[in-house]
Amino acid sequence: MINFLKIWLIIKREYKTRVQTKSFLLSTFLTPLLILGFMGFVIFMTVSDNEAPKQVIVIDETGRMLEPLTRLNATRYQPIKADQSIEQIRDLIMEDELDGYVFFDQPFLNEGTPATFVHNGSGGITFFESLRSDVRDVTRQIRLEDNDVSDAIIAIFEERPALENRRLNEAGVDEQSNAVVSSLGGIFIGIFIFIGLFGYGAILMRSVIEEKTSRIVEIITSSVKPIELMLGKLLGVCLVALTQYSLWIVTYAGVTILAAPVAQFFINQRMGGLQNSLSTLDTTGTVASVPSDIDLSFLEQFSIDPLFILYFFVFFVLGFLMYCSIFAAIGAAVDSEQDSQQFMAPVMLPIFLGYILNFRIAEAPDSTIAIVASLFPLTSPINMVTRMLVSNVPLWEVLLSILLLILSLIGMLLLAARIYRTGILMYGKKPTFRELYKWIRQA
Amino acid sequence: MSLVIDVQNVSKHFGRATAVNQVSFGVEQGQIFGLLGPNGAGKTTTIRMINHILNPDTGYISILGEAVSPKSQERIGYLPEERGLYKKMKVFDQLMYLAQLKGLSQMAAKKAIEFWLDRFEASSWKKKEVSELSKGMSQKIQFIATVAHDPEIYIFDEPFSGLDPINSEMLKEVILEEKKQGKTILFSTHRMEQVEQMCDDICLFNQGKAVLQGNLRSIKQSFGNNTVLLDFIGDSEFLNQLDGVRINNRSTNFAEIRLLEGASPQHILEIAMKHAEIQRFEIVQPSLQDIFISTVNDTKVSV
Repeated sequence: MINFLKIWLIIKREYKTRVQTKSFLLSTFLTPLLILGFMGFVIFMTVSDNEAPKQVIVIDETGRMLEPLTRLNATRYQPIKADQSIEQIRDLIMEDELDGYVFFDQPFLNEGTPATFVHNGSGGITFFESLRSDVRDVTRQIRLEDNDVSDAIIAIFEERPALENRRLNEAGVDEQSNAVVSSLGGIFIGIFIFIGLFGYGAILMRSVIEEKTSRIVEIITSSVKPIELMLGKLLGVCLVALTQYSLWIVTYAGVTILAAPVAQFFINQRMGGLQNSLSTLDTTGTVASVPSDIDLSFLEQFSIDPLFILYFFVFFVLGFLMYCSIFAAIGAAVDSEQDSQQFMAPVMLPIFLGYILNFRIAEAPDSTIAIVASLFPLTSPINMVTRMLVSNVPLWEVLLSILLLILSLIGMLLLAARIYRTGILMYGKKPTFRELYKWIRQA
Repeated sequence: MSLVIDVQNVSKHFGRATAVNQVSFGVEQGQIFGLLGPNGAGKTTTIRMINHILNPDTGYISILGEAVSPKSQERIGYLPEERGLYKKMKVFDQLMYLAQLKGLSQMAAKKAIEFWLDRFEASSWKKKEVSELSKGMSQKIQFIATVAHDPEIYIFDEPFSGLDPINSEMLKEVILEEKKQGKTILFSTHRMEQVEQMCDDICLFNQGKAVLQGNLRSIKQSFGNNTVLLDFIGDSEFLNQLDGVRINNRSTNFAEIRLLEGASPQHILEIAMKHAEIQRFEIVQPSLQDIFISTVNDTKVSV
């Protein structure tokens, strides 16, 4: 009944005219640049030791704090110079020559009253936390020494037991896991699908309206069936979306594969530069050893599983066809984009629901609401994908979700095709919901 | 002779409104067939059903002996009343697309399109987007889109509306040329002079019904010599004194007078001679315009 050759002609036209537009090229190539920029930023943040070196003057009335602090961090903690007054230091801080001073009086060690840190406001919470942690470490050390504690107990205090986060994957191999990264990834992937459904849905709807208002649709329907035109348009636009996603995924994969070596390269360069400058200073010729223990294994968290990409495409395509058949029907029912608003609202509701639920699901991927949302066909295109990224979803749930999605996709397509068929040749007054219902009922 | 287009007892409703009501007509091979009627009479709906764009609620339509189908669509070249092309698509790509949708192979489509572009001296527009073309130019492109797949049947819905005189004349030539090659042409129009010049058979629509149909010449004959054409010099006031007539067309020194029941041409001449200087007095068949108007008015009264 359906002429696939003609559908293929329509797909080709829809695909070609869209892929050749400037906006497609722009959005396709700018988005990876943004992703690249984002990842570069993350790497930079990790590699660059977070902070520019800070200088804090230690005013130590106890006589015991300064020396251990400078041992911890010689560039940060500086003693007060003999000829400096507190007033001078305050002036230097206000001129941003210094970052701050910390003041330890006798009661700090004897009675446990707080020490004071005066600063110019730079550095923020991270700097303050690290300073406080240094002060605590040193103070504890002093107290342990003062109370003549045995070495065994000191060792206990110095111990830092680690908790490694490993997630068991389907193959039964446990791999390093980072809940924060995968939650973020889940949120991101949800947003991507959300934007894809909406963005391409709007593009499709606009093009249906355009065919209708330019009246070309009457010529097309004197050659092909409305359902063929609709399917051709849906699949054509879907292919455009898939092309864009594929380009992005390829870029992303390329970036994640290259990220570790590139980051390592820059670290080595930096270290090398440091070593060079040290060795020129060091007249004895011995090269000072520089630690290169910056851990890059976190980058593996960003790599994606090919099977996941497959599921991503399956859910995206099914969700796309389901939602966009409705968008096509709406486009056919109205004469202008303004008129479409009223019909858009009920369609947008479940997409927005999925989008909002997505944040919750990224945090608690195995909660009841997450399971329901990832099975319910109107939200599953967004929510199941997120859940799969964040958690291990049982295979039967994934398959059930796909089955439900396929069934509702077929239902939606049939409804949409009926509205579309009648709508594309109707001009003038915007139809009411009741009229749409009549169109659907007409055999 | 077998019918190329056979419409039998076709009806179409939209909601409660009846767009086409029990219409039957047939178009023979090699004819130019005119669909006439006021706006909203059901012409476009009928044409869409012949094109298999809409399905009739009841009745039957066959094209070249077979029920309308995607196959029959490929044998028809259709020019809709509301012209439309993709504005952002290049002329050549667009014509290729539309011709291939009509079932032409890529090679055949290319050949046909180049022939027609050449024929309309439009080859230099190939790479232009339709939005860059003037109205007259895009009308030509639209026409090529209709004829490129070399159909056996042409269906034109109001083909002359919006055409400038040059394109209008060109279209007329092409239609007559295609007729000579044995093609069958059906078109709808308001323009009576074109119908009189071109059509073999007509079908007059009013309020969804086919109220009058048949061979154009025999229809005119059946109305008889019932019209008086009068050229005169003088006061036209006397026209108002005539009884049993309807004046279809009147100006300061011309009148087209339709004789109704019992009126005699001699009587009219007598009165006219008393009041004005007569330059022409002729008894003729009614114009199609007149037939159109009186038939439409009659059916209005009867409804």
